[in-house]
Amino acid sequence: MSDTLTPEVIGRRVDVNGERATVLFYGSVPPVAGLWLGVEWDNPERGKHDGSHEGTVYFKCSHPTGGSFIRPNKVNFGVDFLTAVENRYVLKDGPEEDGKEQIVKIANRPVETIGFDSIRKQQSQLSTLQEISLRKCAICRAGDKGAIAKACPNVREVDLSANLLSAWGEVVDIADQLRHLEVLNLRDNRLRFPAAGSPPAAAAFPALKVLVLSRTGVTWAEVLRCAEGWPALEELYLESNGLSISERPADVLQMVKLLDLSHNQLIDENQLFLIAYLPRLEQLILCNTGISSLHFPDAGMGCKTSMFPALQNLVVNDNRISQWSSINELDKLQSLRSLSCRRNPLTEGNGEQTAYRFIIAKIGQLQTLNKCQILPEDRRGAELEYRKAFGNEWKKAGGHQDPDKNRPSEEFLAAHPRYQALCLKYGAPEDGELKTQQPCLLKNQLLALRIKYPNHLDQKVLEKQLPDSMTIQKVKGLLSRLLRVPVSDLLLSYESPKMPGREIELENDQQSLQFYSVESGDCLLVRW
Amino acid sequence: MRECLSIHVGQAGVQIGDACWELYCLEHGIHPDGFLLNSKKDQLGVAKMEHKDASFDTFFCETRAGKHVPRTLFIDLEPTVIDGIRTGKYRSLFHPEHLINGKEDAANNYARGHYSLGSEIIDLVLERIRKLAEQCSGLQGFLIFRSLGGGTGSGFTSLLMEQLSVQYGRKTKLEFSVYPAPRISTAIVEPYNSILTTHFTLEHSDCTFMVDNEALYDICHHKLGVERPSYTIINRLISQAVSSITASLRFEGSLNVDLNEFQTNLVPYPRIHFPMTAFAPIISADSAYHKDFSVSDITTACFEFSNQLVKCDPRLGKYMACCLLYRGDVVPKDVNAAIAAMKSRNSIQFVDWCPTGFKVGINSQPPTVMPGGEMAKVQQAVCMLSNTTAVVEAWARLDHKFDLMYAKRAFLHWYIKEGMEEDEFLEAREDLAALEKDYEEVAQSS
Repeated sequence: MSDTLTPEVIGRRVDVNGERATVLFYGSVPPVAGLWLGVEWDNPERGKHDGSHEGTVYFKCSHPTGGSFIRPNKVNFGVDFLTAVENRYVLKDGPEEDGKEQIVKIANRPVETIGFDSIRKQQSQLSTLQEISLRKCAICRAGDKGAIAKACPNVREVDLSANLLSAWGEVVDIADQLRHLEVLNLRDNRLRFPAAGSPPAAAAFPALKVLVLSRTGVTWAEVLRCAEGWPALEELYLESNGLSISERPADVLQMVKLLDLSHNQLIDENQLFLIAYLPRLEQLILCNTGISSLHFPDAGMGCKTSMFPALQNLVVNDNRISQWSSINELDKLQSLRSLSCRRNPLTEGNGEQTAYRFIIAKIGQLQTLNKCQILPEDRRGAELEYRKAFGNEWKKAGGHQDPDKNRPSEEFLAAHPRYQALCLKYGAPEDGELKTQQPCLLKNQLLALRIKYPNHLDQKVLEKQLPDSMTIQKVKGLLSRLLRVPVSDLLLSYESPKMPGREIELENDQQSLQFYSVESGDCLLVRW
Repeated sequence: MRECLSIHVGQAGVQIGDACWELYCLEHGIHPDGFLLNSKKDQLGVAKMEHKDASFDTFFCETRAGKHVPRTLFIDLEPTVIDGIRTGKYRSLFHPEHLINGKEDAANNYARGHYSLGSEIIDLVLERIRKLAEQCSGLQGFLIFRSLGGGTGSGFTSLLMEQLSVQYGRKTKLEFSVYPAPRISTAIVEPYNSILTTHFTLEHSDCTFMVDNEALYDICHHKLGVERPSYTIINRLISQAVSSITASLRFEGSLNVDLNEFQTNLVPYPRIHFPMTAFAPIISADSAYHKDFSVSDITTACFEFSNQLVKCDPRLGKYMACCLLYRGDVVPKDVNAAIAAMKSRNSIQFVDWCPTGFKVGINSQPPTVMPGGEMAKVQQAVCMLSNTTAVVEAWARLDHKFDLMYAKRAFLHWYIKEGMEEDEFLEAREDLAALEKDYEEVAQSS
């Protein structure tokens, strides 16, 4: 009640009808009588002003409609941990237990709950509870010392998201009493963390493996300061904190296997070097950050970097990666097996499928891309396609099928570090493969042929253009009209400058010129 | 007491079985070689299970050496898929006699599965089932996993179900069937196989839970962000659904604790036994802890079309019965609040003649996920089983495709060659037409 409030109330987190806010002011606001609380809402549009009223500034909000004045009695300051647990799990002797339970109906049909009594009884045994969810239970403090340890000491997982905890100290008080705590979810609690120079954290979290600090407003420096108290931590979730990585974790976070830094737009690629030497880091989730490229300058092309030695799964969806050089750099990672790279400028648009195949080709040891397993035939297809697509460029840059003459430029090698390796694996691309496909116009399908008459050397040599699908019978018909010789007397064969000295008979009238592999520039020999 | 035998038939059934037993082992804390993980030592970091919740006796048989052997049978007419199990991660878990295969497969042909090849292997299968049944002190019934469109799944299963009815008359038989997806076909003759097998097993099966590949692909695409899901991912999704449905049989709970209750709660008429399944939440592992889901949120999600495991729009039909099973850290207070929030939904329509409505239960065993998989671990989950008349849409689609092919007698000779007659096709089609009529009648206001 208002008469028990003191100025210490400033900084506390409160709940008003489901909306959470931080108290920034307590006092009178003339000309209205009585005492008011000035609060800044979590939701910046919920308020009416930014902390000033009729010209006087009472408190400051970061958003013009982020603040309000509220009467203290309208505000819920929260309960302690154990009260919240009891509220949720313990059988209450209330009006609903007197046997006349209200029967809820959906679509005019009764909803029958089965076995709820035994569930209630079971859950009332607080000491048996191992996984508890206290989401939105208005918890603001740990409560009496030792009470939690006595009541529910076996808790392993607790979800404290969206409560009213305002300081890290309160969290430590709670966790101190739960010696088996492995998973702690503190999402959506605006916590004040200990300042630099405060005494080091006690070992309050000996068994903690998973910690969720998303949306708590924590800074990286604060994380590192508190991390001494998390010796066994394996998974750390820090999304949506507006944080940027400011220093290297010296002796802390060394057991961390998974780090989620999504939705922190201030993170850029240079900050990644600061976390590059975490020895156990296997999964790094960087969705929707400010990353526009990736590079590992300590290793040259084709070599492996010593950064991120254990990283197996990298998620960089929804970033601003636009250059292929970033993908080339990823090939330098020693252990990378799985990559998710969706919705980046590099892969958007019409070439999306081709872009994915190029990513497979550029990163040799990748086994999963965008959660789809890369089967051996997928990899083969992707690598062959990549090799063919850049074959012409490779030749222009000095590449050659003959290994002695093969000297592609530095620039080409920098842009395509795996190209030489692919040539070794599948052989250098043939010139025939690299020919760009001519559009299917009729004139591209015509063979320019010379027609000679070996037995009648006085006849002029003709030059004719014939379609390659023309059958031998029709060719004979054409020649018979030209030469005025009956069709049945004609014998056709051809020779090619590519095979000097060989003459190939065109015996089967039903087959086409293409069947006999007649090409442009060949010479038809007609005898009768 | 109250043991359940799982029988997995055909490639689909066997691969789903692989995923399901893997999940069961994780949930019960059983190591791939069949021994219980010592919760103190925790060598592998897998979920620690309290040994006191040992209702897994319904699904696992404990040998004198302390090894837990699944009460299951894997059957296929060709060796490849079963050999995959014999050489896979769980090869020491299953008893070698429980993995049965033939030499030649059914080639997507119901007639081969039922008549020619099936008849050669049925005796062996029944003998093994007899052995398994003798190990049980009080066998409840059978859970049969198969696809409707394949040859073995359709043909052999119908033969097997008939024999099971003869030999184990009163035991419940629940089916988990993979229905042929509306727009994605793996075999052209799926409609023939599905309709023939449905006709044959209609009177022998007590309740059939259907899933279809297209709904699963869509869920993988939209909720898990996987554009081209492999069968592995889809089977894991199915195994989560199956785990939720069988959770009450394996852990302490009150709703649907034995197989008969499924019938009592969900099946108003013997032929109307095709409930739809939906479960929530399905979250990608990359987005773990990015959003929070209250019990109300996941309850509402279950009623959405996109969370159904079969492509049928429930808004187009009427409900006859509905079961909601919550798993994990869910308190009765939350459930009551969620239900109260659902009260005002107009899109839920019930048939006039059915007095029962919703049955809601809680199972405190939290959902488990495969480590390194695509789904994130959640603390609370819900599975909804609803018997709605909208499912007739699935049968109507299939009947239509059947008619198109049968009108031209297309592909019929493959079946005639193996000893079937056209009469059987006509009979099956008529039976399905009658089934559609039954659904229509049931949906009408009296």
